[in-house]
Amino acid sequence: MFEGQDHAQLTTDTPGQASPPPARQKWTLTQEAFDKLLLALGGDRDSGSNKYLEIRSNLTRFFEWRGCPFPEDHADETFNRIAKRVAEGEAILNPSSYAMGVARLLLLEIIKGRQREQSALTEISNSGEVYVDSDDGESRLTCLRNCLQTLSTDNRDLILQYYQGEKSEKIRNRKQLMERLGIPVNTLRMRALRLRERLQGCVEECVRGA
Amino acid sequence: MATEPNSERLIARYLLGDLPEEQQVEIEDRAFQDKDYLASITAVENDLIDEYVRHELSETERRRFEDRFLASAERRKRVEFARALATVASETAAVEKPAAISWRDSLKAFIRGLNPAGQFALAAIMLLLVLGGAWLLTETLRLRSQFTRLQAENQARQSERQALEQQIEAERKRNEELTARLNQEKQQREQTDESLRQLSETTDTTTPAPRPIIAALTLLPGVSRGGGEKPSLAMPQNARLVRLQIGIDPEDQYKSFAAELRTVAGRQIWTRGHLTARTHKGARSITLTVPAIALKPGEYELKLSGQTEGGATEDVGFYYFSVKK
Repeated sequence: MFEGQDHAQLTTDTPGQASPPPARQKWTLTQEAFDKLLLALGGDRDSGSNKYLEIRSNLTRFFEWRGCPFPEDHADETFNRIAKRVAEGEAILNPSSYAMGVARLLLLEIIKGRQREQSALTEISNSGEVYVDSDDGESRLTCLRNCLQTLSTDNRDLILQYYQGEKSEKIRNRKQLMERLGIPVNTLRMRALRLRERLQGCVEECVRGA
Repeated sequence: MATEPNSERLIARYLLGDLPEEQQVEIEDRAFQDKDYLASITAVENDLIDEYVRHELSETERRRFEDRFLASAERRKRVEFARALATVASETAAVEKPAAISWRDSLKAFIRGLNPAGQFALAAIMLLLVLGGAWLLTETLRLRSQFTRLQAENQARQSERQALEQQIEAERKRNEELTARLNQEKQQREQTDESLRQLSETTDTTTPAPRPIIAALTLLPGVSRGGGEKPSLAMPQNARLVRLQIGIDPEDQYKSFAAELRTVAGRQIWTRGHLTARTHKGARSITLTVPAIALKPGEYELKLSGQTEGGATEDVGFYYFSVKK
């Protein structure tokens, strides 16, 4: 079962007052509603599932790019809202655009909420909240060194040389790499990007295990 | 993926939250429709993170980065990873030696280093070299073909010359043979003439010279050396000449004949060539006149050979007879 939160307003009982109006009921994403959502996204369950994953990935990136603290949660909230509208009978012509529209509306709400929080917490500096993550810098370094050894010699040399040096030295190193491998700059960049993502996955797994 | 620098700067501003809403929406819509553009955004994201950890961002950019990039746990992990990667990369930079540049890389670098005029001049020289090389190759092939042809002609001429030399040699030998035969016949003729002269000298000039006595013998084919009765010639004491009449097969049609007289021991005592056969009453024969002094008592073998129209010599037959005094 998936549970999402709608923006419900609750009033409390106070003595001497008339009985409060009934609280708005929370909408819950049921299996039936989720199935309807998948059908609305792709016509059948399999296509709908693929489309769901693709849109979720895009929504997560969107909320990340916009600096939201919990991008995956926001993506799920977006889908909850879409599923509710589909359950209510709304037809969706273009799922990707529709999802982005709902996500942008949600973003506005998130920004407004953050502004209210920031104005209330005035003692916190304007440079932003202080995020305290667990101090795993040393273990991350060890994990990275180990993960580098799992790469082939060529790939290891590529990724290290690509990120060596600063400013002009870095540019020189990358130029040398291009000439040595005989590939254009964009191809080199994509290769480095793929290796970096692979290494990052390995390191995070290693850090979690540690 | 191909992004222009301007496009990357725009993406960087977007990621730092430095664009108006309409442009942000444009970028997002394009990213979710164009996978290559999405990859570009990820690449610029990583570049920004790398620049942040290396303290290469301006103060404003750093603040914006911290505001946007450090908001979510996932991005904070990426920043930590980039920090670790920069540390490890700088550790290995100290121990790495620069890769050896191959001659190809040096050449490429040299060409790229030339100004446009220099590159044009180099291209023109290369073109001339290629064209010159092609011309040389064509010329070499042509000359080689010519040489082969001349060699073949030379070989043919040499073969021709050798054949002519052989022909000349053969003619010379034939000439020698003929000359030798001619000399032999001359000798025999001289012998015969001498005999006749001697015969005439022994007779008185006032008395009529007696006619020389000629012994005659007819030889027929089919008599072998060891078999049967051989013809025998009783040589009169005063015989001067011996007439041998050799019978031949009418089918032996030769241009001319040659006779060779030997003892049974094989010693040649008389030869005669350019003999012709005569036909008389259906029988063909050859008549030989041999000096009587040449035929001592004994066994003899006469070899008759014929010359064909083509000049070849063939054995016609062997005739055996004996001479008694």
